[in-house]
Amino acid sequence: MAAMHVEEFRIAQFGARLGTRLEGESARERLESLLRSLPEEGQVRLSLDGLEVLSTSFADELVGKAYQRVVDGAFGDRTMVLETPSRELAEGIDVKLAQRRLAMLCLQGGRWRLVGFHTPALSETLQRILEKGRTTTRELAEELDLQMSACVNRVARLAELRLIRRRKIGMKGPQDIFEIHSILSG
Amino acid sequence: MTRLTVETIDGVLERVIENGVESLDLRSVRFVDPYALLLLDLLVLEAEGRRSRLRIEWPEAPAVRRWMRAMGFFAQIGSTAGSAPAARDARSALQSITAISDEAGIGRVVDGFHRRLAERYPLTESSRRALTAIMIELFQNIPHHSNATGRIGDPHGIAAMQDYENSILLAIADKGVGLRGSLGLREGYEGITDSQALDAILRDGLSRFADAGRGGELQRIVGVVRSWDGAFALRSGSAFLYFDERGGDIYDVPPFPGVQLAVRIPLRLFDAPMVDP
Repeated sequence: MAAMHVEEFRIAQFGARLGTRLEGESARERLESLLRSLPEEGQVRLSLDGLEVLSTSFADELVGKAYQRVVDGAFGDRTMVLETPSRELAEGIDVKLAQRRLAMLCLQGGRWRLVGFHTPALSETLQRILEKGRTTTRELAEELDLQMSACVNRVARLAELRLIRRRKIGMKGPQDIFEIHSILSG
Repeated sequence: MTRLTVETIDGVLERVIENGVESLDLRSVRFVDPYALLLLDLLVLEAEGRRSRLRIEWPEAPAVRRWMRAMGFFAQIGSTAGSAPAARDARSALQSITAISDEAGIGRVVDGFHRRLAERYPLTESSRRALTAIMIELFQNIPHHSNATGRIGDPHGIAAMQDYENSILLAIADKGVGLRGSLGLREGYEGITDSQALDAILRDGLSRFADAGRGGELQRIVGVVRSWDGAFALRSGSAFLYFDERGGDIYDVPPFPGVQLAVRIPLRLFDAPMVDP
């Protein structure tokens, strides 16, 4: 897989204290324009650096709605990852993504976590994929001691949420075999 | 009646709205809080709108008069008692009555409130962030919801803030369609009552928008205020929710248009010295 094209989008470019939906809507136009300009499989790193306040309304209007469109496939295979200097600043995004039943990778001080709606099973599977960078459903199923169908379901959900990339590389019986890639590597 | 506050102002509304009195004697009032002040402002407007001949005799206590003037109250209602406050009196108001009309102006209004607060109190970083986020959410509810039906000429959104020995009281009010009028626009909620609307918005985090990302802001603010051991009052139509650190409930009150809300925040959140009760 070729090196991924990553572009940073600093939310603080719109101000240090951001709150209204109107402000969020205007910022979303810029974010979506950046997403569209990226090559296929490109990524936007959404940075909260320099922000003082990010309200839940703004968070939903900018991040929640844009990420919903990413997950719905409006931007092809492009992905979005959050980067925050503090857990507190990302709270509004966490709340609104959870309300939308979405989950997003969030980087803080070199560590990752999921913000939004997620389960321990999803986090466990994602952790293994991020550690390995690249794997297959078969390898994952063995390492996580899962039935193949359960593993395929978890991977499918992670792919739906644009938290990983997967590529079908074959079949075993009725099951598709996928090659899986972390969206933090490449 | 000597105090006009979150707890007592409904007695005034009851006399005017339910009993139809045309003369209100407030001369003996010795204390008014910002929530009651905003409701008085809306009551005067509402009476004018109904062409009712409501006459009010304002508090005689000089300190109360000065504070009401410093809060911009008399100027708001166009009363002849509304001469400009002296500079020393103006300082008695933490944040005078401020209009909240369109969404685009909310950042500026929040900055103003924030500046007034920061001038008096050494805000901690996290309380500053939390309070600013609360103001942004509460203020933008006015342009988002007070005229949700498009039938209100002027919802008259206003906010004010005052500090006391142990707390700060932030009040926000409008005379728009109210929670029931807004949530009632959503399919399946057309016939709800005021208290059902209040319950659905605060307990279930609902909004008039079916979009999954909308709603939940008031519910979260209630959670934050509870975690601060603060007090919260929300009045809409004929329903009134009040809670403080001892508990709370939803009460029936005389019907009045719009939404009126108060948040009382303990001063200890601002690292300010508090007076022992």
